[in-house]
Amino acid sequence: MTDETQPVASPPPYRAREARAIAIGVAGWVVPGLGHALQKMWGRALTFFAAVGLLVIVGAGMRGNLFRSEGGDAFAALGYFADLGTGSFYWLAKYIEVGGSDVSHAYGDYGTRFLAAAGVLNLLAALHAYEAARGRKA
Amino acid sequence: MKFHLSHLQAMLLFALMISIAFGFLSRRRPLDRVKYIVWSLFLFLLFGIGIGWAMYPFSR
Repeated sequence: MTDETQPVASPPPYRAREARAIAIGVAGWVVPGLGHALQKMWGRALTFFAAVGLLVIVGAGMRGNLFRSEGGDAFAALGYFADLGTGSFYWLAKYIEVGGSDVSHAYGDYGTRFLAAAGVLNLLAALHAYEAARGRKA
Repeated sequence: MKFHLSHLQAMLLFALMISIAFGFLSRRRPLDRVKYIVWSLFLFLLFGIGIGWAMYPFSR
């Protein structure tokens, strides 16, 4: 007697799904919104791309402090990690801010906050994309 | 490219961007998102302006 049951489409194994979720999270970090775009969440993808992009462009245009790896103190290191959160937009900010930062004025200080907020926001979005890919939230 | 935003303009832009991003992040239905964004923006401005006025007596 032969087994005539048809194989049903099973969900991808845990490791494959986890690897895909990590790849989506990393993609979302490198290019803001890409993690959601890969999951066809177009509204969220466009929103995060625009929000992070606008905050970076305005922050750099206000001559905010874009922290570098050789900062020195803990605050500079935290700022560097926050700025790195913008992914590829970190280099966009570097490209825009050719004159360097100027925090002697209030708008320069605000620009620093804009850049850091953009990075943290993008990290949050990338984490959300990762969780959505794992099926935890959508 | 240079931007010279005033305190109020910077606060408005920041509050709007963060509110929109949080609204899309935490809500799925469009109406829920709009409600969240409006409420979040209102609270941002209320607290921003409120803290600004609270600091006013110590500014001189």
